[in-house]
Amino acid sequence: MFLSKIFFILLALVAAIAATFAVIAPRPFERRMGTLEGQRLDRAQYAAEQMFKVDAHKWIDHVGKLGRDAIIAESLDAASRGSGEYTVIHRTIQDRFRTLIPDLASGGIDSIVALDTKGRVIARVGENEKEYGDYIGGAEIISDALRGYLSDDVWGVNGRLQRLAAAPVLSKNRDRMVGAVYVSAETGPALVERLKRNLDVDVALLLRGKVIASSRGPGELDALPDLLTRHAKEIETAKRTQPIPMTVGKNDLIVVAAPFPGQAGEQQAFYALVGEHPANSGIAALFANATSDDLKWGQFPWLKLAIGMFGAIFVGLALQRMEHDSPIGRLRRELQKVASGDLHKVHDSSYGGKVGGLARDINAAMERFTHAPTQRSDIAGKDLNAILGPSGGSTFDLPASDSAFSGGDPPPAFAPPSAGFAPPPPPSSSFASPPIPSFAPPPPPTFSAPQPFNAAALGFGGSSSGGGGSSMAAEETHQDPIPLPGATKVSMPWGQSLPSAPPSYEPPVNSDGDATRVVPYDAEEEEEAHFRHIFDDFIAKKRDCGESTVGLTRDKFLQKLRDNKANLVAKHNCRTVRFSVYVKDGKAALKATPIRE
Amino acid sequence: MKTLRNPVSRVSRSLVLGAVAYLSLAGNAHAGGTTVRGTVKMPDASRSTRLYHGYWRLENGNVPVQTAGGAKAETVVVLENVKGAHPPSARTITIELGGLDARPRLVITGPGSVIELKNTGKVRHELSTPEKPEVMHLETLAPGQTRRQRFDAVGDYVIRDSEYPHIMICVLVVGTTYFSAVDDKGSFSIANVPDSTATLKVWARGKWVAEQQLETGSLGKEELTIKVVSQREKEKAEQEAKAAE
Repeated sequence: MFLSKIFFILLALVAAIAATFAVIAPRPFERRMGTLEGQRLDRAQYAAEQMFKVDAHKWIDHVGKLGRDAIIAESLDAASRGSGEYTVIHRTIQDRFRTLIPDLASGGIDSIVALDTKGRVIARVGENEKEYGDYIGGAEIISDALRGYLSDDVWGVNGRLQRLAAAPVLSKNRDRMVGAVYVSAETGPALVERLKRNLDVDVALLLRGKVIASSRGPGELDALPDLLTRHAKEIETAKRTQPIPMTVGKNDLIVVAAPFPGQAGEQQAFYALVGEHPANSGIAALFANATSDDLKWGQFPWLKLAIGMFGAIFVGLALQRMEHDSPIGRLRRELQKVASGDLHKVHDSSYGGKVGGLARDINAAMERFTHAPTQRSDIAGKDLNAILGPSGGSTFDLPASDSAFSGGDPPPAFAPPSAGFAPPPPPSSSFASPPIPSFAPPPPPTFSAPQPFNAAALGFGGSSSGGGGSSMAAEETHQDPIPLPGATKVSMPWGQSLPSAPPSYEPPVNSDGDATRVVPYDAEEEEEAHFRHIFDDFIAKKRDCGESTVGLTRDKFLQKLRDNKANLVAKHNCRTVRFSVYVKDGKAALKATPIRE
Repeated sequence: MKTLRNPVSRVSRSLVLGAVAYLSLAGNAHAGGTTVRGTVKMPDASRSTRLYHGYWRLENGNVPVQTAGGAKAETVVVLENVKGAHPPSARTITIELGGLDARPRLVITGPGSVIELKNTGKVRHELSTPEKPEVMHLETLAPGQTRRQRFDAVGDYVIRDSEYPHIMICVLVVGTTYFSAVDDKGSFSIANVPDSTATLKVWARGKWVAEQQLETGSLGKEELTIKVVSQREKEKAEQEAKAAE
């Protein structure tokens, strides 16, 4: 059984270690994946920035071409000089814009605006195209265009983001500026979709603390403005953020944000690239993310796993057979032989462990139930009078004194009767001498002061000053259990006093106080066995009664029994004496029963 | 080749310079003394006419570009702590907001002055002093409306338009009449400064960018050169100083 236990413990340890690895192993990969996702967003942000730059240049080129158109230039020149019909100029420019760019929407353009040198709007197409004549030259991109610069800007007006590109319009001779043209493109959902398509990340646009467009679900990134506000310093310094973790519901996200250029940057206009953090690690996530491909023959070490699993099963079964099945089978076969009469007892010494204990128990049981009943007719009575009866059989109670063995306060040892103690009436038993106790109610015993065990007085350890006869007479008369000799001087610890006793063997407890257990085949051997049984019973009974067994040694106990038996045999002229253990007044006590046959 | 000037910036600049010159002359007419003159050298990044830039700013390649006006026009030099100086008188100054611009963008005045912000354009403006919200809270100024704001305490106030951030109106409430606008080349001149110790401060792009102690009596005809260091250069110098330590 020992090896089986060790094996199962090892198996459990291996399983626990495997489970630990299964849980822990994804964590480093998860962190690594998070880092890689952050790096991917970094690259995406760089790509987005380059895309915006290219876009801006493209728009500048586009608007520059418009500014070089002769009709537009001449019309703006006329408007700036104040010559010509203003309405006609307005329509001329509008028509020209529509001719040059027939479909604004396909080009992603919101509006195209032409201005004279004073910053006055001459014509618009697209948004608010019916309005003209207003001055917008104060806008930096417009004033820059009127200074001769081609530039771009991003505006955040009326809750919308607009990217703009403006260019000066030169006169036909290219010697002076006659106005400016700018185009605007809304930077909203269309840009978000385009960025998502090109960069393969989710995108959100923010303006003045609000998400104005997002490729994720509505409201999903509502926490983003606050998050970016907390990183305002970093954004101001580095013009971007490091990857920032963000939790939205059950989703762990990573965000990289950067400000838009131009005056929109002053209005907390950001674009944020959002990536999914790799799935959480853990057993559930592990299984949720595993695919059938992971279990394919080439991907998974099925062969090694099968070898390991079957190896473990084989070892477990082998150990079980070696330590359990085989001994049990052998024991069973021996028992069958015992039953058939080929064996009279099991070879218990050939078994180890608990099977060995079982074999010994079986032997003990067989000894008791096979042989004892034939003799029990003489001695089975609990009543000693009944056992000894008129034929002179007698039983002697030998009460055990806890203190006698424990070394504590000794209870009153049973003292020999005083001189005035009346001898018992002649016995009717077959014991000739000495006479069998009458079992009449004894006079109140006289207890001496507490004293150590007096073997003589108790009938153990030979004669005392009072003589063996008087001692035994007292025992017989009072029928009181005789306290077992205490041997209070025994100093050897209990645990060391039974070196020969098998550690796992629990001797059967004779709890009902039956008189005799063993009828010997070999007198001496069986008597020793009987004494050992009595000792075991006595110890067990004391434990049951909660009494201490400290200081109680087998050798001394057995020696007392031998001495006592010799005294009783001599006194009652019986063949032998059987002892038994019983409980009296909550304490373990011994009885002695003379056996005549 | 003739170069056209931006009329908007020209008007704005004229207004600023006119107001500053008037105040300077009015305040200093009583005294004779040293003329503090010099040049303010702005960092390259501050020489632009724009406050905010996009990705690109390219010259047209045919006609020379104009580099004057715009945001760089609003640079002034103020002499503070001059002995015997007194604040300019309180007055009401009207600033027109129209054409996506404010005229004038810089006002130097005395305590108790009232700034009248008049929206003459077609768009609404949302004006406030974000750095000193207790002075002017955010309020929408619809087309045709006027908003008045009194400035009692000496200090600098920057009125911003949250819809059009390039509109930045600087109101400097000073306790001295010794100040001067800086021209396109960075030159300035403050006449009739009494002999005294003084603190010369340079205001540009919505903040004080330089400060220097002077002994006006010892200047004579010496021309000051005030080099304004950009924030980046300042940080770099600080880092180098730390590294040296």
